[in-house]
Amino acid sequence: MIKLSLATSLVAALGLYVKPRLLRRVDELSPIQSEEVKIVKVSCLPNCTESCWLQAYVYNDRVRVLMPAPDYLEPEYTRGCLRGLSQVFLWYGPDRLRRPMVREPFLRWCRGEVSWEKAVEEAAKLRGSPDKFIEVDWDIALDCASKALAKIMRDYGPASIAYTVQVPGTAYMGKGALMRLASLFGWSSMHAYPLNGDLPTFWAPTFGVQTEELETYEYLNSKLILIFGSNFTVTRTMSARMLVLAREKGAKIVVIDMNYPSVANIADELILINPATDAALALGIVYVLIRDKLYDAEFTKTYTDMPLLVRLDTKTRLKASEVKELSEYAKNIKIPAYRELYTAWDTRRNKIVIVDPRTLERKDPVTGEIYDPALEGEFEVELVDGKRVKVKPVFQLLKDLVYREYTPDKVARIISPSLDLVPKYIDVIERLAREIATIKPVAIIYGASNWQWYNGDLKGRALSLLVALTGNIGMPGSGISTYAGQYKIKWPMWSWWGYDKELTKIRGVAATRRPRWLNWSIFLNYEYRQSEEWRKYRSTEVPWPEKGVRALLIQWWNPFDQHNKALILTRKARREHPEPLDFIMTTEIQWTTSVEYSDIVLPAASWFEKYDLASGPLNPYVQITQPAHDPLFESMPEIWIFKEIAVRTSKIISAEWTEEEIEKIIGLKKSEMIELAKMFYPDPELQRQEEEARMAGRWSLRIARDIANKASELAIERLLEDGRSVVWAEGVTANLTEGITLEELKKRPIRLKLPTPGNRQIPFWVQINMKVPFPNASYPHPIPATARYVKSGRIEFYKDEKAFLDLGEELPVHKDPFEECLYKLYPEDRGKYELVYLTGNSLYRIHSTHSNNAMMLALQDYKPKIYMNPKTMAKLGLKTGDYIELYNRFGNIRGYLVEDPGIHPRVVVFYQGWWRRYTDGTYYNAPNYPWIKPTEIIYFTPGVWEPNTKWNNTLVAVRKLE
Amino acid sequence: MPKWAMVIDLNRCTGCKTCMVACAMWHGLPPGVFWTIVKWAGSNVPQADMATIGDYPSLGSYPIHNICNHCDNAPCVKVCPVNATYKRDDGMVLIDYDKCIGCRYCMSACPYGVRVFLWEDPSRTISDALRRVKSPYPYKQAPDSMAEQNYIYGYPLDHRDNGRLVYRPVLKLRRGIVTKCDWCVERVDKGLKPVCVEVCVGRARIFGDLSDPNSDVSRMLAEKGPNAVRRLEHLGTEPRVYYIPKTSKPRILGEVTS
Repeated sequence: MIKLSLATSLVAALGLYVKPRLLRRVDELSPIQSEEVKIVKVSCLPNCTESCWLQAYVYNDRVRVLMPAPDYLEPEYTRGCLRGLSQVFLWYGPDRLRRPMVREPFLRWCRGEVSWEKAVEEAAKLRGSPDKFIEVDWDIALDCASKALAKIMRDYGPASIAYTVQVPGTAYMGKGALMRLASLFGWSSMHAYPLNGDLPTFWAPTFGVQTEELETYEYLNSKLILIFGSNFTVTRTMSARMLVLAREKGAKIVVIDMNYPSVANIADELILINPATDAALALGIVYVLIRDKLYDAEFTKTYTDMPLLVRLDTKTRLKASEVKELSEYAKNIKIPAYRELYTAWDTRRNKIVIVDPRTLERKDPVTGEIYDPALEGEFEVELVDGKRVKVKPVFQLLKDLVYREYTPDKVARIISPSLDLVPKYIDVIERLAREIATIKPVAIIYGASNWQWYNGDLKGRALSLLVALTGNIGMPGSGISTYAGQYKIKWPMWSWWGYDKELTKIRGVAATRRPRWLNWSIFLNYEYRQSEEWRKYRSTEVPWPEKGVRALLIQWWNPFDQHNKALILTRKARREHPEPLDFIMTTEIQWTTSVEYSDIVLPAASWFEKYDLASGPLNPYVQITQPAHDPLFESMPEIWIFKEIAVRTSKIISAEWTEEEIEKIIGLKKSEMIELAKMFYPDPELQRQEEEARMAGRWSLRIARDIANKASELAIERLLEDGRSVVWAEGVTANLTEGITLEELKKRPIRLKLPTPGNRQIPFWVQINMKVPFPNASYPHPIPATARYVKSGRIEFYKDEKAFLDLGEELPVHKDPFEECLYKLYPEDRGKYELVYLTGNSLYRIHSTHSNNAMMLALQDYKPKIYMNPKTMAKLGLKTGDYIELYNRFGNIRGYLVEDPGIHPRVVVFYQGWWRRYTDGTYYNAPNYPWIKPTEIIYFTPGVWEPNTKWNNTLVAVRKLE
Repeated sequence: MPKWAMVIDLNRCTGCKTCMVACAMWHGLPPGVFWTIVKWAGSNVPQADMATIGDYPSLGSYPIHNICNHCDNAPCVKVCPVNATYKRDDGMVLIDYDKCIGCRYCMSACPYGVRVFLWEDPSRTISDALRRVKSPYPYKQAPDSMAEQNYIYGYPLDHRDNGRLVYRPVLKLRRGIVTKCDWCVERVDKGLKPVCVEVCVGRARIFGDLSDPNSDVSRMLAEKGPNAVRRLEHLGTEPRVYYIPKTSKPRILGEVTS
């Protein structure tokens, strides 16, 4: 701080006019204005789902300002948020990595100075500290990495190397490069969707898809928007514009949450309910819909499984093959293996009929007659063996359930934060049901925070009932949507992500070459893998590497903050766990917490220093990012880094292993492996050119980057080519990338050619309007991989797999979130930890990205905060500003307490993403545990059906720190 | 000659603070220095992510904006001893950074508290902020520096109004002068909108020509005019920023909380 000089003060006080030149206090260094400001269009690529298209103002070869770029067909989509517009604090900030680094023990191992065991042991002690990282040149780092990876593959098999692509929609090309590398050797890919807790596990059992989303522009067609546990104005900061516009256009916005979220600020109504009781609320509404016949019977009969008959003795759906009068007919109806012929009761002819899974027409496949299925009633049918059994339609079972358990008075007692408010909550349930039934279209936004619970699937299944029973699916402005993360592959991408094309070329016959799969919770939860439940319910589809996981590869991912459930990852890294990690390698742009846990660190190009291709769930646009300038220091595009590892590792393997070993371990002939590595870039000629420069001593970063950029462009073109002809649903193909070229994408984002009117992203438009059976394809999986989850071809609410029946979850129900996990495993914790611990996303971060953004830190006074209701604080003797710790048996987190009356009295909120350096070395994910629910392991389809992490299924206690 | 004015419709504000940050980044303000502010009413912790008012579950939330009002009868213009602060014919109240002597009379005179004095060199303010990033990276430039020492963000080119230096990235200015919102004169003079208007999620901030009855601001005021207020109107400063007060609040259990 500087005080005004006496002279200045005098001058000022006297109000004298002095020639300004004498007293000017501006910078003497006049700005260099020789260069013009150049504008480059780039994409913001965190995993916030928005992927904003921005214009970078480039001056003197550096980005000075970022602003939204107005190039969308719909100007409303033009956007850029506080984090994205200040991202220069990341890429030009103090944490930007400069050169590759290798931890000293591994460097010594690479030089042959110590044994592998010694290096691993010593490195483990250093993990978590910034010590003994040696800056090396790329050759040393890449050779060392390749040598380590080859050794691990030889000792434990390629499946023991695990990695994740975090997340593909943010960079189909660059992240696809890691998939390609993993495909070459057969490493284990851990899908980021369940790893991040973002996989909405109700989609697959209900709709047979990964997810489907209404594009946000469609909100302008919605009349009622229900937001269940999604703080949309924070987590989809810029797309919240559509909510504001929809509301001004007349839509009613209702927010249902346990806390007062900032999105309530632009809502018409806020319904505050107890934590994890959304399913009860939904089922209470279903009760009113059924009681007052407010449901859309035609829609329900046609598109859902509500008419399907269920045996009361076995609780399984009645198959046509089981029924005496239908079994012979059933044999003659040709259906794919992933379908089943179920039955319904035709009220016109008063007889049982086969429900044809090949169409959504209500046509008897035997007689061709149109039938009208019963939704209610109890019937008796004779089985093939002559036994007579009682059956009821799913709808009747649902009705029985809600009449028994979910009347408004019962539900109000579950959801109401206090007993005196129960009558008011009864009114709310009754009114909301009427509104949902009578105001069309209805759109539901279901937030990730809401399903990241042990029973998150049940909530999603229950909420889906609201739109299914009222016919709010497949129409403009309608449906249930989840927008968590850019996981969705908008079309299959194996031609770049895998080596199918090249291997087919080499072998001359059709071949596939793709990575293996693994699930994060299964990786972490060693104890669960020893349990009876695991043995009882685990499908043979669920992968686990024979020799465990020995190496973790991190690419643009910060698991040591974000995914360190119950500190298991730390213990694995420090080798204080029964399944320790030998080797951790990170490809990163900045020095993150996870870099501190790594043995080798490879610096990567930032979002505006490379080419890539992106898309997100909020709209159907595809866009690229492109270099505004060269990568800083020695950082390189991922495509180059992974190409180098592919080539170098294959050279080490081919030099040191026998041909038999290569074939046994890698599953390729030696010549095939070498050939494929040489074909890493889409055009092997580019790779050859770089190699030639290297041999001639001409190689430089400039040459490597130029070639990598050319390869990136070709890879993007190859990806676009993959979208030209895809299967959208059964019998429906689409040319999603028709007319989309890289050159056009350099100018603007382009709407995919979805097979809908106006290419609008309206979930299940094809099913509802063309009567094509569910589901849509969930790329990259083929239809059968996910259609088997809805064998009837309809929206299914009744699940009869054994795990569902055992848990009493054949229909959606409300359950306490802790009974079947925490209290089952640790009964002594009941009453010990009583505050629900929520780790929502912050306005100032995207997960843990921007944790070190100085602009964002300044907005938060550099302090991690914990939010609590003032009444709860008073009970605990705490006040605002106290430095406190939240803890349970799994771990602890520290922060400064802030009172907020908007927080539910039984809840405490810590906004996720603070790196460990800001929280006294504590981790916000430490109090979480990687719970696994039996229903999650009865199938395995990567990113569709697998165990999801349950971030909010956590209870903590509080203590004040001095 | 346009008559520039701004309307802020608080019913459309989502409280996302993008306007604050976009403004700071465009003008090269060091972390913690803002020319426009959005915060939530009722919190005793200004840096809280969110603040609500009331008693659970009867709650409300109210975003508050602050920005230079570019008053027609601007006290800051009157008190400036060196004519550094001046009012342009189109209504913008600007500062000639060449002339400002840092006496801070304008700050005392401004009833809205929107002016920012550079107590220290902005380069030092940013250094402090960068030190608080606490980077343990062993090979960084310095504990208080960006990755490249000379990097400065913000729109890089100076803007002069008839020779007066009305825009330069603040990080390139020196301590001891007063700065404030300039309604992005460097953009508006090129036919662009101010940054905060351009980036606003809810289109809550509208900027335009009051003398044009078809401009966005004129139409907005015609539509919502009876509700529009200007801050501290009784002082006679004649602000050019109009606020549409927040009237739409969420009903909770069927009631609107007061």
